[in-house]
Amino acid sequence: MMAADLDRVWEGVTARIWASQPAAVERVARRLLRSPGLARALVTTPSLLGSWLLASAAVLAVGVLVSRELGTTLVPLLAPALAGAGIAYSYGPGTDPAYELTRSVPVSARTVLLARALAVFAVNAALGVAASLAAPAAGGVTVAWLVPMTAVAALCLAAATLTGSPAAGAAIGLAGWAIAVLAAQVATGGAERAASVPALILPDLLFAAACVAVVLHVTRIPGDRVRGGI
Amino acid sequence: MNIEVQGLTRGFGRATAVRDVELSADAGVFGLLGPNGAGKTTLLRMLATVIPPSSGSVRLLGRDPAAHRERREIRRRLGYLPQQLGYYPNFTVFEFVEYFALLKEIPPARAARAAASAVDRVQLGDRARAKLRTLSGGMLRRVGIAQAIVNDPGLLLLDEPTAGLDPEQRMGFRALLREIGGSATVVVSTHLVEDVGAACDRVALMYDGRIVFHGSPAELTDRGLGHAVGDAPLERGYAAVLAQARL
Repeated sequence: MMAADLDRVWEGVTARIWASQPAAVERVARRLLRSPGLARALVTTPSLLGSWLLASAAVLAVGVLVSRELGTTLVPLLAPALAGAGIAYSYGPGTDPAYELTRSVPVSARTVLLARALAVFAVNAALGVAASLAAPAAGGVTVAWLVPMTAVAALCLAAATLTGSPAAGAAIGLAGWAIAVLAAQVATGGAERAASVPALILPDLLFAAACVAVVLHVTRIPGDRVRGGI
Repeated sequence: MNIEVQGLTRGFGRATAVRDVELSADAGVFGLLGPNGAGKTTLLRMLATVIPPSSGSVRLLGRDPAAHRERREIRRRLGYLPQQLGYYPNFTVFEFVEYFALLKEIPPARAARAAASAVDRVQLGDRARAKLRTLSGGMLRRVGIAQAIVNDPGLLLLDEPTAGLDPEQRMGFRALLREIGGSATVVVSTHLVEDVGAACDRVALMYDGRIVFHGSPAELTDRGLGHAVGDAPLERGYAAVLAQARL
C-alpha cells in the first residue's frame, strides 16, 4: 500500500518536472474547443507552423510591394491561392507524421480536420486582410476575395481528401483558381474581377458547400477509404 | 471476449490482404505470427479501428466499432502501436506521450501523471525531456509503446513492438507485456518466434491473409515434431505449419 502511494507521489512529481506549460495559443484553443486533445492537435497543424506562416506572410508582403509600385491588385489574387495550399497541407498522412496513430484515438479525425482547416483559413484570412489594408491599390476589392478564398480552400480540401495527396489537392485547387482568374481577364479585361464580381458570390459559396459535402462523404466511417482521407 | 472477429475480410483494390478470419481473445497475451505480407498489419489496423473491414463482423471490448459512439468508447480503452511510428521530431518524449493521453480523452488533470507513469514503465524516465529527433530507433519504439499504454488500455495492439530493441530491453518488454496481459488483451504482431514463446499464452499464425494455426505456443511446438527446418522447437513448429499452408 505504501509502495503504491509512493509510486503515485513520484508520478505526480515527475509529471510536474517533465511537463511544460501549454503555449498561449493552445490555452486559448482549449477554451474555445473545449477539448485539450483537439487543442494540442490544432497546434501541431503542419501548415500553421512558423516556417509555413512566414512563407505565406513573405509572399503577401511581396504582393503588397508589387501592388504599391505597379498599381495592380495582386493581393486579392494571392490570398485565396495561399489559403488553398495551406489547407491542402493542413492534415493527413502526407503531412502529419502521427496520422496513423491519430486514426485510433477517440478525438475523431474528421473533427481534427475541421478544426485545422478552419484555423488555417482564419489565419490566412487575417494575413490577407492585413496585406489588403497595406496595399491601397486593392481598393474596392479589399475583402471581396474572402468569398473566392472560401471556394478555393474548399476545392483544395476536397481534392486533397479525394486523392489522398496534399500536393495533388493544392495543384487542383490552384489550377481551378488560375482558370477563374484567366477567365475573368479574358471576359472583362481585369483579372481582379475573379475576386470582386458580386454575381459570383452565390456560385462560389454553393461550390464551396459542394466541396465540403464531398469531404464529409469521403471521411465518413463505415466505407471509409483505405488511405482515410488526405 | 475482448476480441470477437467473424468472417473478417479486407481488400485493397484487387488484392485481398485478410480473408475470412475468425478470431476471439480475452485477457492475456496473444501472438500473431506470420511471414511478411501475411496480413498481420492489416488485421491489426482493422482491430485498431484505423481501417474498416470490407466484410465480416468485429466486436471489440464488447462493442461494435462500426457505430460512432461505441467506436469512441473502444478507442478510449485502446492502445495501438503501428509498425511505423510517426512522430513530431520537435516534441519531447513526455510531450508526445501526454499528447496521446489528451487525444485519448484522459482529463488534463490526470494526463500528465498518466504520461509520467507510461514513460517510467518503458524505462525512459531519464530521457523524458529529450526531443524525439535525438532518440535512437529502440528508444523511439519504447516511446511508441508508452503512448500505447498511457490510457491503461483494455485492448493493446502492438505491431512489431520489439523491432530495434536490444536483448535486455526485449526481456524487460516481455515482462511488461505479461504484466499488462494479466488484466487486458494484448495482441502482438511479430515475426520473432522467440518473443511469442516467452510472452504469449495464445498464438495465431497467418499466411496469405488466412489464419492457418490457432492455439498455444506448446501446441505450435508440437506441430514441429520431426520437422527439420528451424533452430528451436517453436521455430520448427512455425516452419512446419507454414510448409503445410504453402502446399
